[in-house]
Amino acid sequence: MAAVLVHVDLVGDRPDASSLVALAAGRHVASSWGATLYAAVLVHDPNHANVTSTHDDIAATTMPSVPGLAEAESTLARAGADKVVIAVSRGPIAPLWSAVGNAWRGVVDHLRPRLVLFGADAPSAAELGPRTAARIGARLLLRARASGIDDVELRDRDGGYARIGDGGAAVAMVGRAPAIDAVADDCDVDVVVLAMPGTRDDRIELVTTSPAEIAHASGTVVVLGDDVAGDARVTAAAQRFARMMNAHLVGGAAAVRSGAVSNGAVVDKTTPLAPELCVTIGGAQVDVAGATSVIKIGASASTRVPGVDGVVPGLAEAGITELVKKLEAS
Amino acid sequence: MTDNEATARLTITPGSRIMLWLGNQAPARSIRWLDGALKTAAKFDPNKTGRAIAFAAGGASWLDLVADRARHAGIASAGVTTDLQLDYLGWAQIVAAAARQLGAGTILVDEASRPERWVEVAAIAELLDAAQLTHVVKLAPDKDVIHASRVTGRQLQTVRVRGTAVLGVRIAGAPIDEYPTPMPSTSMQRLQLEMLGVDPLVLGHRSQPPRSHEPKRTVERIAEHLVVHLAPRLGDGAGA
Repeated sequence: MAAVLVHVDLVGDRPDASSLVALAAGRHVASSWGATLYAAVLVHDPNHANVTSTHDDIAATTMPSVPGLAEAESTLARAGADKVVIAVSRGPIAPLWSAVGNAWRGVVDHLRPRLVLFGADAPSAAELGPRTAARIGARLLLRARASGIDDVELRDRDGGYARIGDGGAAVAMVGRAPAIDAVADDCDVDVVVLAMPGTRDDRIELVTTSPAEIAHASGTVVVLGDDVAGDARVTAAAQRFARMMNAHLVGGAAAVRSGAVSNGAVVDKTTPLAPELCVTIGGAQVDVAGATSVIKIGASASTRVPGVDGVVPGLAEAGITELVKKLEAS
Repeated sequence: MTDNEATARLTITPGSRIMLWLGNQAPARSIRWLDGALKTAAKFDPNKTGRAIAFAAGGASWLDLVADRARHAGIASAGVTTDLQLDYLGWAQIVAAAARQLGAGTILVDEASRPERWVEVAAIAELLDAAQLTHVVKLAPDKDVIHASRVTGRQLQTVRVRGTAVLGVRIAGAPIDEYPTPMPSTSMQRLQLEMLGVDPLVLGHRSQPPRSHEPKRTVERIAEHLVVHLAPRLGDGAGA
């Protein structure tokens, strides 16, 4: 039976929310394809026997002592996993290929999945997703979503897809999935605990972690134009939209004066930004990288901006309000 | 001394060079990030010995731009003229072959200028069995160590890098509004795919048509575009 494998990041002792979206997508796909859905969690227990082991092969082992792991297993079962794989790493877990790549590679080689899923916003996705795809020679889908009822498939915005009849493997970073049917709280799930060989890659050494500046934001940035910063209805809708997108809300001096954005979130038209997505409201002008997807709200219907992915013409207030409604209903 | 001469004079110890992969098309917007990547690569070669080299593939006008901006930054350049349209693994095969040919042990990738480039970091690293680091926003070489800062979510990780590595950089140069149209360059070292040991016919199975880019102009279509960026909510599976 084919395997669908979902990488699940733990944030603290709980499964990451974006990873659970990927697991929901995996449930739909696995049910449609007649595949087994594996949810794999990489963990480290400094007192586990695997830490001092020198074995080169993957072997069943004892359950590690990791706070919250039993609850995480239960969450993954309720989120639709057929089997939960606890992969015990010899080194500490960090969202870097150098830290967990060897352990994760072991999981992939062991299960030989046809489809591997990551939450698009999961902490490890950027480092592990593309490398996994390259390792197994798979097609790579970015910001994919599950669609279909009987024949479920994954699709991304660039025309990439993964379907039941495809030859070869695929790796997808999942951005959206329909909710799954309710699973009983006391549902049973198979748990497999594996000791993973290999250690961290010493060529990359993590030194410190600190909060990133706004200029280095990598997810979604919403930019409020100075021309609409004094309009309470626009700023309220922009703040709501930013919360929905888990985005940074930034703006110019006028936006700070109006209290719409905080002091630390000031950008001007030469501040270099390279987030994955940038949404501008009103006449905001920003200097964004070519890699960024840009949406303009409240621009003139005749606006022609190279490389813009979407324009909502007309008044900013009407545009952002309608967009928020559409997204809430989606 | 031209870049070609500098390249020829350099005694290449395998793995001693720094290569900057700039992709197969010009930046989607400003060349600011291209300049930033070139300036970053130039830090590895302050004496302009040819140790740092920019590498690109694609059409003539794009390669001319690369040669021109690389010359401005003070580093050598090399390019492959090709009209291939490939997926991430296809380009990675060409970059890995070029890295071997040029003796590069550290490969920088300009992640910021085009959306498709960042996923090539991992593919190049896999093919070269190298360490990888994506989303690097600061980088400073220090003898055999590279100090790098990378963004993950809302966190900034500071790391040290040693040995063979592929680093995806998103570092801006100075703001730039206009620049003169580059002239055809003689300074760029011209490479052929066959010279790199890459067969264009074999690469054909990794071909991928370029994506269409017609801006969406209705709220419905834009909501479709944005929905995959929504923060997870109860009922998405996150609350299950």
